[in-house]
Amino acid sequence: MNIVLIFLITIFSVSLFFYGKSKTKTISIKDDIKLNALPKFYGYYLVLWCSIPALVFLLVWSLFEPVIIKSIIIETAANQGAIFSDKNEANLIYEKIKAIHLGTFFGDIDSILKESALAYAKFINLFTNSKVVLIFGIIIVSVIYSLKKIKNNNKARDDVEVILKGLLFVSSLIAILTTLGIIFSLLFESIKFFSVINIFDYLFGTNWSPQRAFVRDASSITAAEFEELKDAFGFIPLIAGTSFIAFIAMLVAVPIGLFSGIYMAEYASIKVRRISKPIIEILAGIPTVVYGFFAALTVGPFFRQVGENLGLTVSSESALAAGLIMGIMIIPYVSSLSDDVINSVPQSLRDGSYAVGATKSETIKQVVIPAALPGIIGSVLLAVSRAIGETMIVVMAAGLAANLTINPLESTTTITTQIVMILVGDQEFDSPKTQSAFALGLTLFIATLILNYIAQRAVKKYREKYD
Amino acid sequence: MSNVKIKSKNLNVYYGDKQALFDVNLDLNEKEVTALIGPSGCGKSTFIRCINRMNDVIDICKVTGNIEMDGMNINDKDLDVVSLRERVGMVFQKPNPFPKSIYDNISYGPKIHGKGETKNELDQIVENSLKKSALWEEVKDRLDEPGTSLSGGQQQRLCIARAISVNPEVILMDEPCSALDPIATAKIEELIDELKKTYTIVIVTHSMAQAVRVSQKTGFFHLGKLIEVGKTEKIFKNPDNKMTQDYITGRFG
Repeated sequence: MNIVLIFLITIFSVSLFFYGKSKTKTISIKDDIKLNALPKFYGYYLVLWCSIPALVFLLVWSLFEPVIIKSIIIETAANQGAIFSDKNEANLIYEKIKAIHLGTFFGDIDSILKESALAYAKFINLFTNSKVVLIFGIIIVSVIYSLKKIKNNNKARDDVEVILKGLLFVSSLIAILTTLGIIFSLLFESIKFFSVINIFDYLFGTNWSPQRAFVRDASSITAAEFEELKDAFGFIPLIAGTSFIAFIAMLVAVPIGLFSGIYMAEYASIKVRRISKPIIEILAGIPTVVYGFFAALTVGPFFRQVGENLGLTVSSESALAAGLIMGIMIIPYVSSLSDDVINSVPQSLRDGSYAVGATKSETIKQVVIPAALPGIIGSVLLAVSRAIGETMIVVMAAGLAANLTINPLESTTTITTQIVMILVGDQEFDSPKTQSAFALGLTLFIATLILNYIAQRAVKKYREKYD
Repeated sequence: MSNVKIKSKNLNVYYGDKQALFDVNLDLNEKEVTALIGPSGCGKSTFIRCINRMNDVIDICKVTGNIEMDGMNINDKDLDVVSLRERVGMVFQKPNPFPKSIYDNISYGPKIHGKGETKNELDQIVENSLKKSALWEEVKDRLDEPGTSLSGGQQQRLCIARAISVNPEVILMDEPCSALDPIATAKIEELIDELKKTYTIVIVTHSMAQAVRVSQKTGFFHLGKLIEVGKTEKIFKNPDNKMTQDYITGRFG
C-alpha cells in the first residue's frame, strides 16, 4: 500500500513539474509579465510542495499506526475477556491476533481471538482508508496553495532555495541525533553497570573475568556475590592489551607508511606514483576479516614454527601476529595521509633549501619533514585510533584471554574483542556481564574521541600555517 | 671594466616541447649588479635558474648550450650541483623562510656544508650574515623566534642572509621585491647596493625604476630572446633596439 502511495505521489509530482513549467510560460506570454524565476523553478516549487508534506505525513503515520492499532486491539481483546497478567502476555495475544488476520496462525482459535481478529481487520481497513484519504487531502491542499502562489508570480527560485535549505538541515539533524542516540544508549547502560560495579574498581582493576558474573540478576546480587564480582571487571588488562597491540601495529605502520609516503611524494616519478598509489590504497580496501584469516592461519602458525625452532614458547594466537597484520592494514592510512601532507609543503621551501646547496635527502630530512610534522602526527594519531578500534583481526589472531603481559608471543586481548565476546550468543540483559560491554564501548569511544580531536587539531594547525 | 664572472654562450632551454630560451649570450661582470627586465614569461627567471641549475628540479626541463663561471662549465653533467649552489646563492620572489627559528634559518646552510664546526663559529656566521643583510639590529634579541613571525620585508632580508650565510660568490635574485611594500623595497635596494661590493648580483625585476636604481648593466628579454644588453644608463636613455625603447617607455609589457 505504502509503495503504491509513494509511486502515485511521485507520478503526480513529476506531472506537476511539467504543468508548472508550461503554466508559468503561458502566464508570462499571455499577460506579458516578467517571471520572477525561470519556469523550471516553478516546476520544482510544485514538486516540492506536492511531495514533501505528503511524504512526511506518510512517514509519521507509518511510525504511529502500528502502535495505536496495537493498543486498541489489546484493549478490545481485554474487553472480550482475554486474560493477561503482564505486558509480555499482552504482546503475545496481539501477535496471535495478527497471525490469525494474516492466515499464518495454526493453533486453536477461541471466540475471543476470533472476535479480536475481526476487530483487527476492521481497524486495519479503517486506518488504511483514512490514510489514503488524508494523504490525498494533504496533496490537494498543498497543491492548491502552491498553484495560487505561482499564479501570483512568486519568487519561486528563492522559495525553492528555502525549502532545500530546510531539507539539508533535516538531513544533518538526523545524523546528529543518531550520534546522540548512540552516545546516550552507551551512557545509560554504562550507568547501570557502574551502579553495580564501582567505577574505580573498573578503571584500576587488574583482573578481567566477566564470565564470573554470568546470569546473575543485578537486582538480586547478594553481598558475598558482590564482593566476588568486584574484581571481575578490571579494565587494566584490556587497555594494556589494546595499547600493546596498537603499539606493535604502529611500530610496523609508522616507519613503512611514512617512508612510502615520502617516496611517493618526493622521489617517485609520475608514472610510478600513478600505479603504486592505488595499489597501496587497495590495502585499505581489504575487509579486515580477510586480514584476520591471514593473521590467524598464516602468520600466527608461522611465528609459532619459527619460535619453536628457536626454542621459544609461542602461543598460536599472539599479540605479535595480530599487531603485525594490523600494522600492515594501517600502512595505507599513514602513507596516503603523509603523502598528501608532504605534497602540500610549498615547493618554495624546497627551492630555498636546494638554493643553499642542500641535497634532496637533506632537504627532506631538515626542511620538508619538520614543516609537515604536525600533519604527519595527525595522520599517525588517526591511524592509532583506527588500530584501537580494530576488532576482527584481534578476535581471530590475538586470542581471548585477558592476560596482563608484555610478552608479544603470548596471547592477549583488546577492548573490542571483549565486547564481541560478551555480546555473542544469548544474553541476560540486566546482568553486569552484558552491561560491562557498554561500559567498555563508552570507554573506547571516549578514548578514540580524544585521539581524533587531537589529530584533527594537529592537522588543522598545520593547514593554517601555509594557507 | 670589471672581469666577466659568468658567461653564457648559445644557451637554449626547453620545457618539454616548448622552448623557453633561444641562443642567449650574456656576460655577467664580477661585483656588479646586472638587472634583467622584460615582460612576464620572457625567460628572465629561466635564465637565472640556469646559473645555479635550479632547473634540475623540474623534470621536463632540458638545457643546451654553454654557461660558464670562472671558466668552469656549469652545464657539465658531472658537476657537483651542491658545491655549485654553495657558490651561487639565490633569493626568491616570495620570501620563503623555513618553518624554523631565525637562527636555524641562517645556520642551516653552513651546517650542511660543514662550515662553523663549533657553536661559536656558527654564532659568528649567523651574526655576520644578519649584519650583512641589515637585519641584525632588528632580530638580535629574538633569534629563537620562528622566521615566519617576521614581517614580509624582514623575511626577505632573512632569506638574503640565508643565501649569504654559505659565503657564495654570486647571488641570484628573482624579483626579490615583488611581494614587498615600498619601504621594505627601499631597504632591500639599499642592501643590494652594499652587497655588490662583495658579491656578483643578478636581479630579475619588473620595475624599471628599480633596475635603474640598483644595476650597472641591464639585459632586456623578450619571448625567450635576449634583445639587448648594455650599461643600464644606455639601455634606459638611448637603447639601440626599437623594442627595448617601446618596453621601457611602457608601450607594451
